[in-house]
Amino acid sequence: MSKASIIINRTQELLRSLWYKGEEVCLLCGGQDGPICPTCIKEYFHPELARCQACGKLIARESTYCRDCLEHRGPQALTRVTAWGHYAGGWRDFIHRIKYQAQPRLVQKIAHLLAEWAVTQLPPPDSIVAVPMHPSRLAERGFNQAEMISSVLRWELGIPLLNGLERVLPTRSQAELSRQERLHNLTGAFKVRDQKNFSGHIIWLVDDVTTTGATLEACAQALRAVEVGEIYGLCLAAGIEKNLVSAGD
Amino acid sequence: MLFYLVRTPKGELVLSPFPELDKPYFEGGSFKEDGKNIEPYTVLTPGVPLAYLETVAVPSESILRALAREDVLKSFPWHWGDLEYLKDYLPGVVVGPESREPNVEIVKSLRGRKLTEDELRMLATSYGLKPEEVWQQAHLLVRAGLGEWVPAVRRERKGWRCQRCGESELEEWPSIYGAAFTCPSCRSLGTSSTLKVIYRDLRTPARENFGLRSLNKTSDLVLTPAQEKAAGQVLEFVQSTLESEALLWAACGAGKTEVCFPAAAWALGQGKSVLFAAPRQDVIHDVAPRLQQAFPDLSIPVLSGASAAKFSAGDLVLATTHQVLRFYQAFDLIFLDELDAFPYRDSRMLQWGVTQALRPGGKILFLSATPDPATLKRIRKEGKIIRLPARHHRRPLPVPVFKKMPDWSRVKDSGSLLSKMQPGFGSMLAALREHGPVIFFVPKISSVNVWTEILKSIFPGWSIAGSYSRDPERLDKLVALRRGDFDLFVATSILERGVTIEGAQVAVMAADHPVFDERSLVQMAGRAGRTRANPSGGVIFFAARETAAIRTAVRWINEQNELARTAGLLD
Ligand SMILES: [Zn+2]
Ligand SMILES: [Zn+2]
Ligand SMILES: [Zn+2]
Repeated sequence: MSKASIIINRTQELLRSLWYKGEEVCLLCGGQDGPICPTCIKEYFHPELARCQACGKLIARESTYCRDCLEHRGPQALTRVTAWGHYAGGWRDFIHRIKYQAQPRLVQKIAHLLAEWAVTQLPPPDSIVAVPMHPSRLAERGFNQAEMISSVLRWELGIPLLNGLERVLPTRSQAELSRQERLHNLTGAFKVRDQKNFSGHIIWLVDDVTTTGATLEACAQALRAVEVGEIYGLCLAAGIEKNLVSAGD
Repeated sequence: MLFYLVRTPKGELVLSPFPELDKPYFEGGSFKEDGKNIEPYTVLTPGVPLAYLETVAVPSESILRALAREDVLKSFPWHWGDLEYLKDYLPGVVVGPESREPNVEIVKSLRGRKLTEDELRMLATSYGLKPEEVWQQAHLLVRAGLGEWVPAVRRERKGWRCQRCGESELEEWPSIYGAAFTCPSCRSLGTSSTLKVIYRDLRTPARENFGLRSLNKTSDLVLTPAQEKAAGQVLEFVQSTLESEALLWAACGAGKTEVCFPAAAWALGQGKSVLFAAPRQDVIHDVAPRLQQAFPDLSIPVLSGASAAKFSAGDLVLATTHQVLRFYQAFDLIFLDELDAFPYRDSRMLQWGVTQALRPGGKILFLSATPDPATLKRIRKEGKIIRLPARHHRRPLPVPVFKKMPDWSRVKDSGSLLSKMQPGFGSMLAALREHGPVIFFVPKISSVNVWTEILKSIFPGWSIAGSYSRDPERLDKLVALRRGDFDLFVATSILERGVTIEGAQVAVMAADHPVFDERSLVQMAGRAGRTRANPSGGVIFFAARETAAIRTAVRWINEQNELARTAGLLD
C-alpha cells in the first residue's frame, strides 16, 4: 500500500471514530459493536468449537465427547448439557457482575443472543426449570441468577417456567471442595414438590455455570425420581477441554 | 449482612446482625437480682437486609401486623424464637463470637471511616481475620454508640439513595424482598445496593502524638511573591470563622499545592484533622513526596486506587476523592485539588463524599485552574475566591492561536482532508517543534493510534508515539516523554493535567470537538511553557470554527495574564 493510501484509509477510520455515535458498547470488553463484540464472541464463545454431547464442555469441533465423559465421569441423569461460552476472562467477569455485584439486570441485555443460541443447540422443551439456590445464600444475594436466566428465556421463547424443584440441605460452597467431595456434597440436596407437574416433561434445566456438572446432576437425579421425560442442562458457561486451553485462551 | 429484629428481656426492640453479641448490653445486672422471671431474648426470623427492615418502624406489639402490610415481606415465614434455641438452629448467623473483647488495631483503623460490609471484609483479609470478626468488631462499636449501621442504599422520603456516594438514579431489579436497587455511580469501589450495609464511624480519625512533633517545618518552603500572597489569604480563610468554603483559582503551573502548606501547618498545630484530596491517582502520587518533604516529621498515609486497604491513622491524610467516600465526618480541613477534573456526574458523587467526610463546622478549600461555572457561582456567593495568577518564572501564560481547518464532520472525501490542510499543517507543527517537543491532543482515545500513524507518515524522521489512559505501555511512554525522547506525542486529555514536560509545545486537533470544553482547552494550553528553563511555549488550536469554548478559554488565559500583570507578578 502506498503512503498516500495509508493516510486515506487511516483518515477514514479516524472520521468514523470521531463522529460515529450511538453504537452499543460490548458488555464484556467495553469496546464497540455490542452487546457482545465479534472479538469477544471469538474469544469466549468459540463458534469454531463443539460442545461435549454429555457435559457441555467446550471441545474440538471433530469430537463428540470430552475425555471425562468418554471415561464415564460425565452426567448420568441428564440427557445432555450444553454451555454457551467458556468460563474465563471477560465472560466470567460478566457473570460475576451479575452474581456478586448485584447487577441481575445484565441478564436481560444478553437475553436475545442467549435465546437465539439455545434454540440451535437443544430440542424445544415443555418447560424450563431453574437450579434452586439454598435459602441462606438466596437471603444474602436477594435473587437466584438461574431464575433470572430462566425468566429471560421464558420471555424470549415463550416457554413456561416450572416451579417445584427445591434445595433442601445447606451445602458447603462448591468452590471450597474437591471434585469427589462436590459430587458427594450434593447427594440428596434437591427434591421435587408436586411431582405430577413434572412427569413426562421435556425440561431445560438452567444454571449460570457448570464446572464439574455436580449441581446439574444432583438436580437431574431428583427430577428423574419424579419421572421427568428428558432433561437438558443449559448454562451460560463451562470449562474447556484441557488440551484446547492454549488454543482457546 | 442480614439483620434481625430482637426483643430484649426488657421489652426493647432492636435491630441487630449479631443478637448473641448484644446480650450483655441489654441484660442489666439489677434485672437478675430482682429475682423475677427473666423474659427470654426473642429473635424474629428470618433475617432481612437492613434497608427492608428499618422502615418497618413500629411499636413492639404491632410488628407482625406492620410486616403483614408490606408487599413482599408479608409472605415471609415470620417467627419469634428464643435466642437460645436459634443459636443451634441458625449456626453462624445469629451467634456472636465467644470473645467480646475489642481488637485494638481494628477499632483504631475504623476511626472516622465509612465502609461497606464488603470493604470490611477486605479489611479483615488484610489483617488475616475472618470477615465476621471485623463485622462483629464494628458492631461492638455500634453498640457502644461510636458507630452506626446504615443500608448502603436507603429509602428516603422520595425514593432511594446510595449512602456511599449520594446517587439517587439507581438500577432497579426484582429481589426476594421486593424492589432492590444497585448504585451504578460508585460501582468502581465495590457493590452498593439495598442488600448491603455500611458501617459509619462516629469518632474522628486518631491524631497520634499531636503536639509532640514540630509541625512548622514549612519555614524551609520557598514561595514566590505570588504564592506568598495567596498563601496568606488561604491561612486567613482557614483561621477565620466566616466562610466555610473557598476557591484557590490558580494559573496552570503556578504551584497551587505549596500555597496550602502554611495553612495546613497551622491547622495541624491546632490539633485539627487535615485531608488533601484530588480526583486522580497520579496527582496524589505527585503531591505525596512534596507534602512529605514539607512535613518530614509527620506520618502521611496515602490512600489511592480502589482498594479499601488498611488505614493507619496519620496526622495528615492524602487520598483520592474515591477514597474520601470511605470517611465519615472525619476532617476539620479539606484541601480538594482539581475539583473540576471529573465529569459532572462524578462530581456530584465527589461533592457528596467530601461533604460527608467534613466534620460539622469544617472548612474546604477547592483548588483549580479551571473552576466550573456552578462552583464559581456558589463560592462567589457564599465563599471566598483567592487568585494565584502567575507562574514561578514570572512569564505570562501562552495564549492559544486559532487555526482554521476543514470541517471534520462534513468532509466526505476523506483523502482530501489532509491535502487541504497540507502543507500548512505540517509546517506549523514543524515550527512548534523548533521550540520543544510537541504534545498533540486529539478528542478521542480511538483516534490516538490513527493520528500517530498519520503524523509518522508526515514526519518520517521524527520520533513519534501516542498513548491513552488504558494503554498498557502508558507509564513507560510517559517516562520517555518526560525525558524528552519524543519529537511529538499524541495524547488524549488525560495528559491535560499535572504533567510537566520540559519545553512542551501544544497542538489541539479538532479543538471545536464537543468533548473539549473551555476548561479542558485551558488545561491543555497550560501544558506549554511551564518550566523556568523554558518559560514560553506555543499553543495552536486547530478547529473548523471558533466555538464558544475556544473563545472562553482564550479569554480566561488573557484574564489571568492581565491579573498577574496588574499585581506586578510578571516581568
Ligand atoms: Zn467485546
Ligand atoms: Zn463431557
Ligand atoms: Zn453509590
